[in-house]
Amino acid sequence: MPHLEIHDLTVSYEKNKPTLERFSLNVEQGELLSLLGPSGCGKTTTLRSVAGFIQPDAGRIVINDRDYTRLPPNKRDIGLVFQSYALFPHLTVFYNVAFGLRMRRIPKAEVHSRVSNALKMVGLEAFADRRPSQLSGGQQQRVALARATVIEPQVLLLDEPLSNLDARLRVDMRQEIRRLQQQLGITTLYVTHDQVEAMSISDRVVVMNQGAIEQIGTPERIFAAPETVFVADFMGFDNHFSAAVLSVKDGKLTVNWGGAPIELQWRSKLGSPHPGARAEIFFRADNASLLAGTERQGLPGQVILHTFHGNSLRYLVETQVGEFSIMQDSASERFEPGAAVRVRPHTEKWIAILEET
Amino acid sequence: MISRWMYISLVILYCFLLGPFIIIFMASFGANANLAFPPQGFTLDWFANVFETSQFIDSFWISLQLALLSTIVSLVMGMPVAYALTRFDFAASGTVETVFSAPILVPGLVIGFAMLNFFVLLGDMQVMTGLFIGHTAILFPYSVRVISASLRNLDPYVEDAAVSLGANRLRGFLLVVLPNMQAGIAAAFVLGFITSFNNVPVSLFLSGPGVTTLPVSMLSYLEYYFDPTIAALSTLLVIFTVVLVQAAERVLGLSQFV
Amino acid sequence: MIRRPNQSRTIILLVAPAIVFVIVFFILPLIFLLSQSVVLEDGSFTLTGYLDFFQSRVSRIVYLRTLRLGLIVTGICVLMSYPAAFVLARMPARRRSFLMSLVILPLMTNAVARTFAWLIILGRRGMINQTLLSLDLVETPLRFIFTETAIVLGLTQLFLPLMVLPLVSAMENIPDDVLEAARSLGANRLTTFLRIVVPLSSDGLVLGATLVFTGSVTAFVTPAILGGSRLLLMSTLLRQKAVILFDQHAAAVVAVVMIVTTLAVNLLLRVLRVKQS
Repeated sequence: MPHLEIHDLTVSYEKNKPTLERFSLNVEQGELLSLLGPSGCGKTTTLRSVAGFIQPDAGRIVINDRDYTRLPPNKRDIGLVFQSYALFPHLTVFYNVAFGLRMRRIPKAEVHSRVSNALKMVGLEAFADRRPSQLSGGQQQRVALARATVIEPQVLLLDEPLSNLDARLRVDMRQEIRRLQQQLGITTLYVTHDQVEAMSISDRVVVMNQGAIEQIGTPERIFAAPETVFVADFMGFDNHFSAAVLSVKDGKLTVNWGGAPIELQWRSKLGSPHPGARAEIFFRADNASLLAGTERQGLPGQVILHTFHGNSLRYLVETQVGEFSIMQDSASERFEPGAAVRVRPHTEKWIAILEET
Repeated sequence: MISRWMYISLVILYCFLLGPFIIIFMASFGANANLAFPPQGFTLDWFANVFETSQFIDSFWISLQLALLSTIVSLVMGMPVAYALTRFDFAASGTVETVFSAPILVPGLVIGFAMLNFFVLLGDMQVMTGLFIGHTAILFPYSVRVISASLRNLDPYVEDAAVSLGANRLRGFLLVVLPNMQAGIAAAFVLGFITSFNNVPVSLFLSGPGVTTLPVSMLSYLEYYFDPTIAALSTLLVIFTVVLVQAAERVLGLSQFV
Repeated sequence: MIRRPNQSRTIILLVAPAIVFVIVFFILPLIFLLSQSVVLEDGSFTLTGYLDFFQSRVSRIVYLRTLRLGLIVTGICVLMSYPAAFVLARMPARRRSFLMSLVILPLMTNAVARTFAWLIILGRRGMINQTLLSLDLVETPLRFIFTETAIVLGLTQLFLPLMVLPLVSAMENIPDDVLEAARSLGANRLTTFLRIVVPLSSDGLVLGATLVFTGSVTAFVTPAILGGSRLLLMSTLLRQKAVILFDQHAAAVVAVVMIVTTLAVNLLLRVLRVKQS
């Protein structure tokens, strides 16, 4: 049985323009599930509904078999980490973390030991007497985590917790959040617009768009096999083109790629595609390679420019199908701008998506 | 980028702004009663005269009570307005903001005149009540604006954080928002107090027999007497203001709210 | 800003007490004032009050004088504040905040005290006359008090801070880089000031001008002390009609003209600000 259940949640700020419409989701005990999507997709609204700050128009929220839907936010057993951290500026780190315990009228001695413990877990035991303004962004983030987890909530909610940190710190904090979450075994809902962050931290990822779920699955699955054009775009597939389906056979479809037929795996929410349908084809920069223009196989093209990325070089290549971005090992043969090349597709990692247009 | 003549203009500006204060200060210690310049001799008689003139003493107490009362009431009523304006997104917020900035847009003398006529219409109203209403109304723009500024500096989500940790809305406000507004409230208080304490135009019509504010009684004193007593009283008031403003500036950074 | 569904009730509860106060004790008196200016004692509607006001030579002169002096004061304030504000805005924070508190100080002192100084400076035995006499430039003291010059000086001193403050805060927001960029592209100091600083601080200028102008045309204390009954402005005219002539109808007309004037100026300059941004 799932630990957190969201049933047919509908929320609208304006009449007849629901931000969320009949949104349902289950989160298992101890699972970290990310809500991933662009701003305005309803992910924060979902989170705030679970926290109780938004009263939904319809739908139910159930945690541990108990109906939370009508419960005011202060009666819910939920830990919330805000994007801005929302630390109390006038209280020291210790009293920030102790706040929830004091609201629960926990005896003083126990408050002390639990706060100390929580601060130890996030490595801030030496900072108990500081004010939030005297801490770095990463330290503030840790205080926010300690404050939300010290009350041992049923569910932990994190709203874009890393978006105010710089890139390097973000990677560190990502690991720290994951470690803490697994140590506590706490059911967690994690909102982010950063696909790399969602991929690296989650057990499962929900890609959201306009108040609805586009795809739900493990990070590996979503990364490798997006089911909709939206997800493929959002997952950062570097190259995209449209082509007409020539034939469908043995679970694969064939499209024309610059005169040569290529066979691709496909996803469709419309049932099996028929010849003549339009397929949207996506592939990543490292799922094709460049050969010298003198080779016979592959699509002919011309190098427009290349950029250096350490271990790899990224080429922009113009072909009759379109411009493609292709990653090559730096050690391999180098092609200068203007050089004639051929593009060899690694079609086993390419994906064709069929959607209504 | 900054040339010499710009510095010269700065010096001229400050001479113009502060010169009159120096002149008042000198005149208040001068022995000659006709205010001839430069003052001759040295005396503290004019300061003594201030304290012996009952109209000043009486009106000082009235001004003090009036300023305290109207500032507090405008704060207590203005704070919820500022909270609504900064924490909620609602269609009428523009209208509300306009209503509460209106008392600044209407000339003070006109406000006093209109209120006097209206209060006469309402019937017997005590002079002090009329003054209190007038001052409270003109202080709203200041309290709402300063408190709003201070609320905008506070992350709106700290309240949600408190609530998610188990506090109800009221407790969240009292435990988390209010302590962080201290500086803003104090700044609004100082600003409101000074605005009320110095006001002439609104008080002019609303003052009545025996109940006059200090600046208005200074003005009427000037109609009959032309001696350094007003200079001495002004010196005292400037010192009072300097102490108050410097303390507020030092502690709160008042200039960011003005 | 947090959006919550079903928030109207909370907002009404928060805003209601103050709104009721302002409507009953501020808006209603103003509506009553408006009605006083168009209703005669027998209850009939009339616009003769306004006709009289604009046809009377005296009140026309007073109205135009008020506007003219307001413009002069605003102009002087702009000229005195602009370069000085620029110097202030470029200062190190600590020195600036000290100097700014000196700008605020006059604003925090009552107008009677501040205007009184001009009596000492401009009086028959005042600073200027004594200087002129001792230099034998004049034989008898000149009359400065009850002149337009005296009123302009008094009002300028009174409202100068209201121009300096918005200008400084507008100029603080101009990054040094922008000025350096202009210089590196070949602009000299004056050009940089006129083409970069002035346009980028125009918001502050417009705000300051609004405050100074509306302050000047509605101020009472300064014209009362330095203009007296000989040199009336709108505010002293209002007082005269209401208290000395006891003509409430005419006084209400003057009051409404004052309100309309200030609102018109505010509106005009607000439109100007919106256009710029």
